[in-house]
Amino acid sequence: MPNKVLLKIENLKVKANHQEILKGINLKIEKKQIQAILGPNGSGKSVLCQTILGNPKYKITQGKIIFQEKNINKLPPEKRVKLGLALSWQNPPSLRGIKLVDLLKKISQEKIKIEEGKHLLNRQVNLDFSGGEKKISELLQLLSLKPKLVIFDEIDSGLDLEKIKKIAKIIKKEFVDRGISLLIITHNGEILKFLKPQLTNVMIKGKIVCQQKNFQKVLKTIKKYGYEKCQKCLS
Amino acid sequence: MKNAKSVYLDKEKIKSFEEIKQKEISFFQRDNQIEKILSNKDILILPSSLAWQKYSWTKKFFEKKPKEGYFIWLKKQINFPLLICLGIYSPQKKQNLNNLLVIEKNVKVKVITNCYSQKSNLKASHQAKGKIILKEKSQLNYHHFHYWHSGDKVSSDYEFILKNNSSLFYSYKNFSSPKNLFLKNLARLEKGASVDLKITTQAEKSKMKIIDSIILAGENSQGILKLRLVGKKDSQIENQSEIIAKKQSKGHLDCQGLLVEKRSEISTMPKLVCQSKKAQLTHEASIGKISEEELNYLRQRGFKESEAINLIVNGFLQNNL
Repeated sequence: MPNKVLLKIENLKVKANHQEILKGINLKIEKKQIQAILGPNGSGKSVLCQTILGNPKYKITQGKIIFQEKNINKLPPEKRVKLGLALSWQNPPSLRGIKLVDLLKKISQEKIKIEEGKHLLNRQVNLDFSGGEKKISELLQLLSLKPKLVIFDEIDSGLDLEKIKKIAKIIKKEFVDRGISLLIITHNGEILKFLKPQLTNVMIKGKIVCQQKNFQKVLKTIKKYGYEKCQKCLS
Repeated sequence: MKNAKSVYLDKEKIKSFEEIKQKEISFFQRDNQIEKILSNKDILILPSSLAWQKYSWTKKFFEKKPKEGYFIWLKKQINFPLLICLGIYSPQKKQNLNNLLVIEKNVKVKVITNCYSQKSNLKASHQAKGKIILKEKSQLNYHHFHYWHSGDKVSSDYEFILKNNSSLFYSYKNFSSPKNLFLKNLARLEKGASVDLKITTQAEKSKMKIIDSIILAGENSQGILKLRLVGKKDSQIENQSEIIAKKQSKGHLDCQGLLVEKRSEISTMPKLVCQSKKAQLTHEASIGKISEEELNYLRQRGFKESEAINLIVNGFLQNNL
């Protein structure tokens, strides 16, 4: 029987600037599955994303990241991307002198067939883009990569409800309906209402403290009691 | 016409440049031999040595009797760009060129010059000294491309004389660096003239000295000087750029450097000299390194580290130019 697990993280501990940020993360994402990670600011969500993608700034001190049954701990970012991992950045940097259209062409020869973002193509990547435009630019780039698992780092941050709805609609059509697995990292959880994850994790202080199938229950608890309630789960 | 960049930046195309573009070349010198000179009723192209003999007025523009090089006299408007090709194909060849380009009143022209050594290990030496005269209300759009190899020595020293209300757009790009490069550009502007000088260069296993000057000698003249300097492995770039305003005029100097490797050095000395209280001169200068964040972002888009660096460098070279 084929293995359904796409990404498996085992007891992952990560340091940056001599400080331990991730303190033993365990996570499993299956093919075609949507999972979410909710957590307060500074809980290590973005560090987890960047570590999965191989950002050399973050050092793995213990544990394994296994993608498609292969330990990718030592693979450089570009090789992880070739295997099918992709990350949408929360705050992508501006690339001066590089037009989005040229970057997309370099990523893939295949033309992306979505209407959104056409007006961004001849602008320099992320330079003077609004929050919403940056998210669209990220989506266009991810589509060019033809990923198997996409991690969205705070794709809903700084957007109003209408924009979140629009972004969620694109994600559903372009990724979910094509069977691409998703890991949605979010602070406020708004986007989960539209993408309905099958499993929702809560991350506090570098650890996943709970996993729930019912994302609404998690959102309701956080909304009512804040992450303080989750904090108590730790103690 | 395809844009100059797409046609002329490809190294493979340069190798067979004379075969592909033979028909379009206006002046082609291989080593020390002139291979082709365009003949046209509106334009006169001669070897410099012949121009010296035939036209005594050219003598004031050549410092001494020239041995090599071209004389181009654009008398009337033409409807095609001038393509100049100066290549070294044989080992240890030395080119010592004295060039003169004269553009008559009201004539607008585009010039594309390619200077190159055809392959590595030729130890080529290319020295070009030239004057470019833009007469009243003429316009020159000049693209100067260099392709050299690590053993080559190159010197390019040009003076642009811009008469009243003439305008010059000059873009120099260096795509592979020689062992030594000396690059000097001086533009003198009369009343109402304008110049836009853009120098982009990448140095790798190379030592470069780049000196640029714009002299705003006429009222209401305008000058912009932009440099983008990239220091790759084992390189040293020394730059001195100045704008001198003698009359009511405007000038802007923008010099940016990017250090890619540890064993590289860029020094830049921007200088503004204002001799008129009605003149306005500004400058900006910076030298930085490749951002780790940008590098990591591009690697997460599937590019190898070296490819990501190239993308960032190319973006830097094109930024605001």
